[in-house]
Amino acid sequence: MTGQLIQSLVDALSAGATLGLAALSIGLVFGVIRLANFAQAEIITASAYCLIFTWELGWFIAVPLSILVAVAMSLLMEFTVFSRMRSANPATLLIASFGLSFLLQRVYELMFSNNVRTAPVASGLAQTVEFAGVRIQLLSVATIVIAGLLLLGLHLFLTRTSMGLQLKAAAADFRTARLIGIPAGRVIALSFALSGILAAAVAFVLTVQSGAVGPTFGVQITILALVGAVIGGIDKISGSLAGGFLVGFVTSMLATWLPQEMSNFKDAYVFVLVIGVLLFRPSGLLIKGRGVART
Amino acid sequence: MSIADDARFGSRQPGRGLRVEGLQVAYGGVPAVRGIDLEVKAGEAVGLIGPNGAGKSSTLLGIMGAIARSGRVLVDGQDLAGLPPEKVVRRGVALVPEGRHVFAELSVADNLRLGAVARRDRTGYSEAMEHVLTLFPMLRDFGHRQAGLLSGGQQQQLAIGRALMSDPDILLLDEPSLGLSPTAVDTVFEALDVIRAAGKAVLVVEQRAEFTIAFCDRTFVLHDGEITLTLKPQDAEKVDVLTKAYFG
Repeated sequence: MTGQLIQSLVDALSAGATLGLAALSIGLVFGVIRLANFAQAEIITASAYCLIFTWELGWFIAVPLSILVAVAMSLLMEFTVFSRMRSANPATLLIASFGLSFLLQRVYELMFSNNVRTAPVASGLAQTVEFAGVRIQLLSVATIVIAGLLLLGLHLFLTRTSMGLQLKAAAADFRTARLIGIPAGRVIALSFALSGILAAAVAFVLTVQSGAVGPTFGVQITILALVGAVIGGIDKISGSLAGGFLVGFVTSMLATWLPQEMSNFKDAYVFVLVIGVLLFRPSGLLIKGRGVART
Repeated sequence: MSIADDARFGSRQPGRGLRVEGLQVAYGGVPAVRGIDLEVKAGEAVGLIGPNGAGKSSTLLGIMGAIARSGRVLVDGQDLAGLPPEKVVRRGVALVPEGRHVFAELSVADNLRLGAVARRDRTGYSEAMEHVLTLFPMLRDFGHRQAGLLSGGQQQQLAIGRALMSDPDILLLDEPSLGLSPTAVDTVFEALDVIRAAGKAVLVVEQRAEFTIAFCDRTFVLHDGEITLTLKPQDAEKVDVLTKAYFG
């Protein structure tokens, strides 16, 4: 029983870490330009296709290339679509991102067909190891490590570098950031690039998990990531991360511990949680309220 | 040596002022500023007063390029037409926005660092920081504190300090006394006096008419987007002049 609990905790931490990264990749961009980018799904898909097609060349080529593809796609979306819609309201931007998402899914269908493409991406990580009587999947541990390193790197970047500080300021109050001279275009591009890196990490974990990629590969996790970001507070970088983690963790635990006949509805329970949060904490669990200015 | 004695006070070449010609700002076709002209010379403080909705804040945002405008905004003879706010700051104009808008979750020191992003030189950063911390010693004491935890008066000092870090020749302030205690207002205006004496051009939008008229070298009264009256410091105590300024 203890072994199963530890095993489920590690799996849940891993699922939470993956969804946390996905939600963070959405929250980073939302914080700056109020875009909840649904087409983040297609960035994940493109990065995953890249892993599948280039894996036989060696991980040292496939992994950097998949990151490059994700960052390039993210920046391309910004420069070709979203930068032309700067004055649009968040609802219009969201709908535009839906449109872009569907368009790219059709493009992937045309390019790679509806069938999934497969490759044994980092198949070594799919193994299970036994440690002190507890069976743990290597991928779960690797996911937690990858997420931890990425978050540490992002934290250091945001707190120790000038560009990171500018991004944090822009995410907190974009209008004021521009008024004090922070270059809008550069900060927006930076948020898209970082979002692309996070999407590539998510794509890696999911591709190792499934080994198969189709045109709608990134959609499911992006929907859950959006849900997570809203629960945590999409307005705040840490809110998105925590919300995504929470949704991933809870979903994984429900899948493990609910009786078989009930666990099929695990996503439904998550959405009940979302309804509850939207009713009682519409700004998100981590948002304390706007403006802490005192007189 | 006080800051006022130091003519540099972060400024590379004192003597640059602001000239606004025929500035117009509209929101969705509704005019907010209807072609105003004004000039603020280096070492001068100019006030802009008027009732709510007169177009005072719109004037400042128009100068900054934060909202669509027509007319000319000249700094050192160069038109800032079409420049976004971040580039206007690089031309030597800085705004202290209404409500202060410090970055509440960042430290005081980080807020000041961000103010320096638009500096045109990299060499004067330490000097500018020292000047700001001398002008507002409180900021030195609370360098590591979250800006959102400061009082309103302290946040206003931080907002002004942050603007000064960009090394502006022209400082625009939108209602710097809003919501502050009388003591905090005094602190802010004493600092503005020092900034003016250091050769900066200061344009201040205010609700406190009497106070502003007395402080500024000239004060314009704005009504429905137009300048209707120009007042001098000696007009500050003339009740009839003030009444006319606000009620026509």
